[in-house]
Amino acid sequence: MSDVILEDLSKSYRDVIAVNKINLDIEDGEFVTLVGPSGCGKSTTLEMIAGLTERTSGSITIGDREVSGLPPKHRNIAMVFQNIALFPHLNVYDNVSFGLNIRDYDGAETEKRVERALDIVQLPEMGDRMPEELSGGQRQRVAIARSIVREPDVFLMDEPLANLDAKLRVHMRTELQRLHNQLDTTIIYVTHDQAEAMTMSDRMAVLNEGELQQFAPPLTCYNEPANVFVAGFIGSPSMNLIDGAVDGRAVVTEYFSVDARPVDGLSDGSDIVLGIRPEDVYLSRNTASVGAPSDPVEVVAEVIEPMGDEIFVYLNFEESAEAVMEGQDSVQDVDQLLISVDPDSDIEEGDLIEIVFDRANTHLFDGESGDALSHDLTETSGRES
Amino acid sequence: MIRNPESTYRILFYFATGGFLIATLFPFYYLAVIALTPRGNLYDVGVTPNGFNPGAFIEIFQIAPLHHFIFNGVVLALLTTAIVLVIASITGYVFGRFEFRGRIPLMLIVLAISYFPPAAFLIPLFEMLTGNLTVFGLSSPDLFNTPGAMVMPFSALFLPLSIFILTTFFSQIPDGLEDAARVEGSTRLGALYRVIMPLSAPGLATAGVLTFIFTYNEFFFSFLMTDGSADSWAPLVWGILQYQTQYGELYNYMAASALVGMIPVAMLVLFAQRHIISGLTQGALKE
Repeated sequence: MSDVILEDLSKSYRDVIAVNKINLDIEDGEFVTLVGPSGCGKSTTLEMIAGLTERTSGSITIGDREVSGLPPKHRNIAMVFQNIALFPHLNVYDNVSFGLNIRDYDGAETEKRVERALDIVQLPEMGDRMPEELSGGQRQRVAIARSIVREPDVFLMDEPLANLDAKLRVHMRTELQRLHNQLDTTIIYVTHDQAEAMTMSDRMAVLNEGELQQFAPPLTCYNEPANVFVAGFIGSPSMNLIDGAVDGRAVVTEYFSVDARPVDGLSDGSDIVLGIRPEDVYLSRNTASVGAPSDPVEVVAEVIEPMGDEIFVYLNFEESAEAVMEGQDSVQDVDQLLISVDPDSDIEEGDLIEIVFDRANTHLFDGESGDALSHDLTETSGRES
Repeated sequence: MIRNPESTYRILFYFATGGFLIATLFPFYYLAVIALTPRGNLYDVGVTPNGFNPGAFIEIFQIAPLHHFIFNGVVLALLTTAIVLVIASITGYVFGRFEFRGRIPLMLIVLAISYFPPAAFLIPLFEMLTGNLTVFGLSSPDLFNTPGAMVMPFSALFLPLSIFILTTFFSQIPDGLEDAARVEGSTRLGALYRVIMPLSAPGLATAGVLTFIFTYNEFFFSFLMTDGSADSWAPLVWGILQYQTQYGELYNYMAASALVGMIPVAMLVLFAQRHIISGLTQGALKE
């Protein structure tokens, strides 16, 4: 039950910087996810909070204690690992009571706590089983019981669900949220799976190449990504990013142009990146629900992926599609656009279709820095980042 | 062209195994034959005992305190094994689980010690352990006729192999388990004792049994570092030599005491057999 504050936390290995000056202010009882692609420094950050990896510089405060120089055992934290890390030579009871035994709790108290912890993870009466006799999900729940039995200040979870099969993973996700509601303890959770991060966290910290990109509630990261990286990383399927330039009150790309209100600091010819989520693209024949449709753009449906509840369509802009057909251009050079449409949309591969974007949900990023400039191209709203 | 490969292979297998067993077990059998032959008939020993004198197995204890020599040997071996396992565990932990500059060269130096013949160390060790070495005005302790004079060289000579065995085993324990133990409140040494060592039990058993057998059978230092009396910690070697008297060599007693002296090792091997086999074969396959 403590807040966790990271200040300018950095880690470098010889000449490689793994984590670069991360600042996070995690509140008491918050469920925070560190999310990013592999190698982004999220696990290193977690290990530094745990004390398993020495920080290079910066400070870590848990509650009102500066813990940066302390060994793991003095930080009052608990950790759940990706590879589960139950002690294979000890039974479930001894695994769960491992930390209590080291701290010389008396027998009755230990027994009471272990029983309660096993109840919370819904594995009562399993104390004398060996880890190898349990299923993957049960093992992970024992690992969670081991972490809650000491009533730590903070839970650290390093991709705890990554080794479980897809169905179990979704189930354990809700279990963890239930656990968080029940215990109300700060949880710092590391994952590379943006869907996990979106569904579970109060706030998510998106990391890339050792640097913090955005620290905000999931929907803020989704609706108002701070930069091109967050825009592309959060959301599945990921956002379409198209290079373009400013021209008066419009943004012009190679294939189409969109009307856009002026943004401070941009002049004619400034390079920008246009970001459009697949779900914000519509077929021009049913634009009734779109508040601020763009001018229609002609495209060719190239690949169709029916998902059941929606259909993903990979589109090629018309000119380049012709180029492909004439064999003048290689497929890789063609700009592709991914959209999702209703399952009853009658589209076949090779069809020529017209699409519009929702300008109220179109993002604009700086062409050089990648920072977000605007999340709405319409005149009325003033949503700017 | 072998017409019936299956049975041919089986016959060859029995043939080879049989030959091997005869070669290894025949010395034991012959010891038993000599031990059972009455002393007067020892000039003419064939493949079967020339007479039957099981009393030799009792008489050996009456002529010399053989049990005392065996006890000394067991104590020396246990002490050495304990020292070797403690030091090799800590060293193996460092070599097996840490990356640091000079790890490989350091390991090779340790291993190189075991390449030297023990005789190469004899004179300096003897001088040092009998109190004849003076460094900066401090004389080395006189350990002649004490366990220290044997346990120290034994430990030094057998440490490298044990360190190697344990380094291999410890390096195979997943990092996550040690991390988990440390987060749960162990120190590094605590994690070594509570998690890494129990999970490396086959490796510890292998290193321990090999050390015990080596020490118990050791001749060179055992012979030179005591004066040979049971009260001066002389081990089994000296016990067997008690039957070499000025009147002649009592071969039947020597054979009987050699067989009796094997009992502690045989018991140990029977006890630890399961662990040793998995220790010698499993090393490369663990998770």
